[in-house]
Amino acid sequence: PPETRAATRARPRSGPAPVTDVAKLCVCDLLVAQCDVNCCCDPDCSAADFSLFTTCSVPVVTGDSRFCSQKAAIYSLDVEANPPERIFKLIDQVNPSVFCIHTTNYKQALSFSSPEMPTSENFDQLLKQFGSASFSAEPDSWNMNTDAQNPSDTNETYRYKYGVPIQTVDAFLRLPSPVVSSWCSDANPAGFLLNQATKCIRSLSVEKCGNIEAVSMLFYINSSILAVNITVHSIVVQSLNGMRTLLNGSDVLRLPMILDELCINIVLGVSYHITYTDAGEIIEAAASFVLGAINKEARSIQQSFEISFTQVNTKPVPLSGNPGYVVGLPVRAGFRPQGYPFPVEILFAALVLSTNKYSQLTILQSTSNQDCLAAQGARTPILFGYNMISGCKLRITAAMKCQPLTQTLLDLLKGQSFPEFVASFGNSQAQDVLDWVPITHLHISEQRIYNIFQSSCQIPVSLEMEVKWTKYGSLVNPQARIVNVTATITTTTLKQLPSGRERTIPITSSVVFTDISSPAEPGYKAWPTINAKLPFDFFFPFV
Amino acid sequence: LSSVPLQILFYVNGIYYIFYFLATLAMIVYKSQVFSYPDDFLAPDLTLLFIMAILEVLRLYLGSKGNLTEEEAPLGLSLVITVGSVILSVYFLVWQTYVLKADVIINAVLLFTYGLESVLQVIAIAAFVS
Repeated sequence: PPETRAATRARPRSGPAPVTDVAKLCVCDLLVAQCDVNCCCDPDCSAADFSLFTTCSVPVVTGDSRFCSQKAAIYSLDVEANPPERIFKLIDQVNPSVFCIHTTNYKQALSFSSPEMPTSENFDQLLKQFGSASFSAEPDSWNMNTDAQNPSDTNETYRYKYGVPIQTVDAFLRLPSPVVSSWCSDANPAGFLLNQATKCIRSLSVEKCGNIEAVSMLFYINSSILAVNITVHSIVVQSLNGMRTLLNGSDVLRLPMILDELCINIVLGVSYHITYTDAGEIIEAAASFVLGAINKEARSIQQSFEISFTQVNTKPVPLSGNPGYVVGLPVRAGFRPQGYPFPVEILFAALVLSTNKYSQLTILQSTSNQDCLAAQGARTPILFGYNMISGCKLRITAAMKCQPLTQTLLDLLKGQSFPEFVASFGNSQAQDVLDWVPITHLHISEQRIYNIFQSSCQIPVSLEMEVKWTKYGSLVNPQARIVNVTATITTTTLKQLPSGRERTIPITSSVVFTDISSPAEPGYKAWPTINAKLPFDFFFPFV
Repeated sequence: LSSVPLQILFYVNGIYYIFYFLATLAMIVYKSQVFSYPDDFLAPDLTLLFIMAILEVLRLYLGSKGNLTEEEAPLGLSLVITVGSVILSVYFLVWQTYVLKADVIINAVLLFTYGLESVLQVIAIAAFVS
């Protein structure tokens, strides 16, 4: 019935009441319902048991001996009698000291109090009283639903950060690489956005060619990158003498097999190409293979692996630095597509970049025969930080007309498509128009003063490009940033030659990189000033 | 006429009380070290002991003055204060936190002295009034 249940719940249970009667107290009674040996106060022992005892382990049971008078139970064995019997005496023990306790009004003074048993009513009060560092409840402000906040998102696409290993269904996308020695280790994971190229050696022989899985195509395209399958982009077959042939159909899986004492279709190189979105998800993965063959004498092969990442909807443009230019990498350039108005702050169209290196910032390349007109437009890209000078010799005959010659020389010096803008950082994107520096064109004419009245034909004879760059960013890791590019065309007067005569003039083009970064100045803290001012009402009665 | 026994008793009482005060104080200190004497119980005991000392000084001064000048007013006041001292002595005898045998002895002696003094004071007042 609910009333009794409520009643039992309300009544706090307490522990067993303490035994204070010395006649009933027995500390050596440990075995329940059995006689403890040599325990004279054990109520379970009979007279026959007492006759077997040798001594009493507990001779006296008293309360606190500091009381002036108290009861004591004295147990002893009478060994004279036959059989020996136990003697039990209850006496009043007197403490002779003058400082014995006569009475005490403090109940808990000299005995242990039985603790309060916790029930559902007094639990909070007991917790507040006795709870401390090792036993306490967490504050109510804690949110108990912590697992409702982060639902497991294995079904969603996994977003990567730079350098995070790319996960596949079972482990990580492996890019075998040499670890300590040159031998391949298959445990190197590929990191997101980390373009890597590794070469390592694997031991292999014709007998074991079917057993080692790291030389089979299946090993590299088997595990799919979570939701994305690795597709085979192309297969190149390399013959024993090193000639490579691109296969037409690349959807056939070619596994290693033994053919005429050769082991063919072993993987000599894998090139992964991963396409990602700007949110960090991988949407496509392709692998290009180089398959080769080994003969009986081969004991090891060298494998090369590489991985590259491309953002979706962009054409891959190799960066020349991240962010500052790296010395030796080509200077990136581009030009604005036709049909767009003047470059005003906003509404730039995306600059058209070209991977064709001949459309980048290039310089005339000197050829062996040094004849400008026979140079056939060989150009070399301008590499950051490398001052270059090149040239050729132009043979002028009397038959040459001024205007076509000027145009030919301009094409020679500047190239077919001379760009309009140069990227200020090595990783400038085409859509960030403010990261691109326009090329300033200057025109200097070498004119002798006395020829000023002659009708002159100015032909360009030299193109000097000066790239001014500065150090940008932190002092410990400065990044090179191109600030200004000036292309100076120097023209000179073409004097009319008498017919039959020839002249040779040198045509030069050069590029110079100038560091215009201002040197770092040490900054000193200002000297501390003594700021001693009297309060404004210091001379109160007088001011 | 001043009561000589009363005066002698006052004098002896004064000396005895000094001893009583020091002994009780020492025993309270001893009890607090040896037994578990929480602050809730220690504070009342000490407070009452100091109140008792003040009352005792007042009582002895008034009683002695009244007896020597043969005036009944100070003597009467001293009698009233004696009642308070008796109650306090009974507290130290029975209701203290820890009552040692020594406490019992010195409080018993003090109560006996108070009893004797009270009787002599009543007689002296009666003598002065008439």
